[in-house]
Amino acid sequence: MGKKTNSSSTTGIKKRGVLETLWRYRVLELMCLPAVIFFFMFSYMPMPGIWVAFVKYNYRDGIFGSKFVGLKNFEFLAESGKLFDLTKNTILYNIAFIILGNFLAILVAILLNEMQSKMFKKVSQTMMFLPYFISQVLVGILVYNLLNYDYGFVNEILASMGREKWGPYSDPSAWPVILVIVHLWQQTGYNSVVYFAAICGIDAEIIEAAKVDGANAFQKIRYIILPGLKPTIVILLLFALGGIVKGNFGLFYNIIGTNSLLYPTTDIIETYVYRATITDFNFSTASAVGLYQSIIGFVMVMLVNFIVKKIDPDYSLF
Amino acid sequence: MKKKLLATLLSASMVMGIAACGSSDGGATTPASTDTANTETQTQTTTDTTTADAGSQETASAIDTSEHVVITYMTTGGAPEGNMTDEMLSQLNAILTEKVNAELEIYYIDWTDYLSNYNLTLARMDGTVDLVGTASDWLDAWPNAKNGAFLELSEDMLKTYAPKTWESVSPEHWDLCKYDGNIYLMPEDNYAQWTNHGFAYRLDWAKEAGLADGVKSWEDLTTYFKYVKETYPDVIPWDSDGTQYGQMVSGWIVSHSNYVPIDGINSGAMWGGKKDDLYTVYSPFMTDTDSLVEYAKMMKEWDEIGVWKTDVLNNTASDNREDYKIGRVAAEQHHTQTWTDLCSHKDGYTIYDDPNAETGFFYFGEETGNIVALSITHGAMAVSAASKNPERALMVYDLLRNDPECYRLINYGVEGVSYEIDENGMRKNPEGYDGNTDGITTNFWWGRNDDLELKDSTLNWDAINKLYAEYDKIKIDYPYGQFVPNVDDIQSKIENINDIHTTYMKQISFGKYQGSAEDIVAEYQAALEKAGIADVTAELQRQFDELYK
Repeated sequence: MGKKTNSSSTTGIKKRGVLETLWRYRVLELMCLPAVIFFFMFSYMPMPGIWVAFVKYNYRDGIFGSKFVGLKNFEFLAESGKLFDLTKNTILYNIAFIILGNFLAILVAILLNEMQSKMFKKVSQTMMFLPYFISQVLVGILVYNLLNYDYGFVNEILASMGREKWGPYSDPSAWPVILVIVHLWQQTGYNSVVYFAAICGIDAEIIEAAKVDGANAFQKIRYIILPGLKPTIVILLLFALGGIVKGNFGLFYNIIGTNSLLYPTTDIIETYVYRATITDFNFSTASAVGLYQSIIGFVMVMLVNFIVKKIDPDYSLF
Repeated sequence: MKKKLLATLLSASMVMGIAACGSSDGGATTPASTDTANTETQTQTTTDTTTADAGSQETASAIDTSEHVVITYMTTGGAPEGNMTDEMLSQLNAILTEKVNAELEIYYIDWTDYLSNYNLTLARMDGTVDLVGTASDWLDAWPNAKNGAFLELSEDMLKTYAPKTWESVSPEHWDLCKYDGNIYLMPEDNYAQWTNHGFAYRLDWAKEAGLADGVKSWEDLTTYFKYVKETYPDVIPWDSDGTQYGQMVSGWIVSHSNYVPIDGINSGAMWGGKKDDLYTVYSPFMTDTDSLVEYAKMMKEWDEIGVWKTDVLNNTASDNREDYKIGRVAAEQHHTQTWTDLCSHKDGYTIYDDPNAETGFFYFGEETGNIVALSITHGAMAVSAASKNPERALMVYDLLRNDPECYRLINYGVEGVSYEIDENGMRKNPEGYDGNTDGITTNFWWGRNDDLELKDSTLNWDAINKLYAEYDKIKIDYPYGQFVPNVDDIQSKIENINDIHTTYMKQISFGKYQGSAEDIVAEYQAALEKAGIADVTAELQRQFDELYK
């Protein structure tokens, strides 16, 4: 830091040090600013509101004026007797989403990177990206029109081939697969962008050097690209684990709706809470559930970070 | 070490942050705005009380209306497409300005997810709405009153600002609008209507099917549906969507017992008394096992007949009522009020191109003569606690409900365009009337008044009066009007029971369950038992005893 001198400053060395650092990295800080503002406004400012999970919320008295009821709002989850099943479903789906999602995203990113034709690369990337912009409501309708028994696309084809019709809407066992496929279809294009960017960030000289040394494409991927992606993978994994007990409400609710026949394999915390509390509009219970999920998420992040750190301190978040 | 702690805290708050985003519609982000709104409201309420006190000493003519205010009225239903509603409002507002120096605006809550949007709008508490159309049985009037969304209407306030309404509602009826000793609702208690549910069906087809008197029982419905399916292959007997299960099973229960449900505990209306023993609380869903098994079997049969589409549980796109009018389906499950419309030969109801076509109504409870008249708070007006001008809101409501000119404008629109009065003093559509461009939408279902009503000449009054007379002979008045259950301690149990009821009844009511009827009913009841239905019944009984003994 000594190289740069700021002659006009007469403040103490320590203070000047901080200011100087701030000034020196001003461009980076500016780029960071939107994210900082976002998290401050939408995450830190509303945080005291979590108090609502511990009160009997009354519109007129507000969050801090309402009656304190302790953990009463959490009882509902425990009493349902479904907490375990719901948490299990939520976590299993998320594990499938995270593992398969990341695997596919990496695969796609590598394949895109290897493509020679620029035109084809751009077109296929755009095509894969598009589903991400389709609203979940429309996805729900699409799936229904594809799969429904009476006039669904798939069943029309099966019927015209003289095969027996397939009724997934009355078959709970079909849905884990269908939901995972729909999720991957929607998210892979988007997720691969992050990995694609990471691959682009790998020093071209190393790759050149490997080529000179006679490495083929597979060796290049195995020994250069994949290790280069490791920090990105670990960080994304840590982020994803923080949300492992948070289900994708939009996806599940729009596709399954309130078809109770399918609940055993498709009911996640969000959909259950939505159904149970939509009738009486209970902010407190909903927030209590949110808090429960956050705490588990926090524990997960800490735990995994701890493990990562044990294995290789360089990759841990902190 | 310090750094590590900081990092821990930061990551903790980040995860919490995600929580805050994730549940934005349920929790953490709303509070910030509610807080500021809240302080406003508190000052608001204090000024309210002072003005109300002052108001009670003034005579009506001395009320200060020097400031022109806008009163927003919230109603359920989609906003109208034509511009006649605006035209009507401008005429109405001229009168309102002259009389009380106020004007009316309408705030529509679209039918899609109406209950959540309705409650959410009330929870904003920022003065968006003043007058709130509400209902104890289908629009959460009591929970909202308890949550502090509605203003307590003191007798003095009502006497001063809504004197005609105060006069016209009897003291007994005001008592039914009280919670904790305060009046919260102004009931629509002088308007004859029936909202008991049942099936509207093609009477002519039922006769063809060999049911000479029409459908008189659930078994007759089976015969009818079977006949329709076989004889009219292009017609779906009943294009139900997945939400009909609740009305179906409660319809079955009242048709096979003398059960009288209590409104407003849960959507399934799962607790009540018996007609001959009104004040002993029970849940027929636990006691009437044989009946439920029979129901499950019959619904399986209906499913096999093909009464509804195979994927009925995911069917959200059905437009059954409109389809009924043009003959694509053969039945509609809804209340009597809807049937009065369907049985009338209106424009665009192409089923009546066939001169034999007739629409009959099989009402739930017909077999056992078990009919309960409507609660007077099935439609009621409340004033938002966040209203900046509650006095003026009451004055406007008083005019809408009791002033003939205002009443006709808000209910029927502009005379000559939206309606005409025929030689019998009945209401009819003008020549070349087109509902989309000439009609109005105000959905003023919270203060209709038979003294000022103009009967609709397009309705089939012969059939309607006949059914109403039949109802009047067997009906009992809704017995639990004064019972506002306090469910705070049993809320979590009720929520879980709601979910069990929905989960199982959907499968049972559309015959989609696996295994035998006996097994599924037993499983359903075991789940209810486990969720603590006995505790809920006991608690309701305790509150009943407090009130009625």
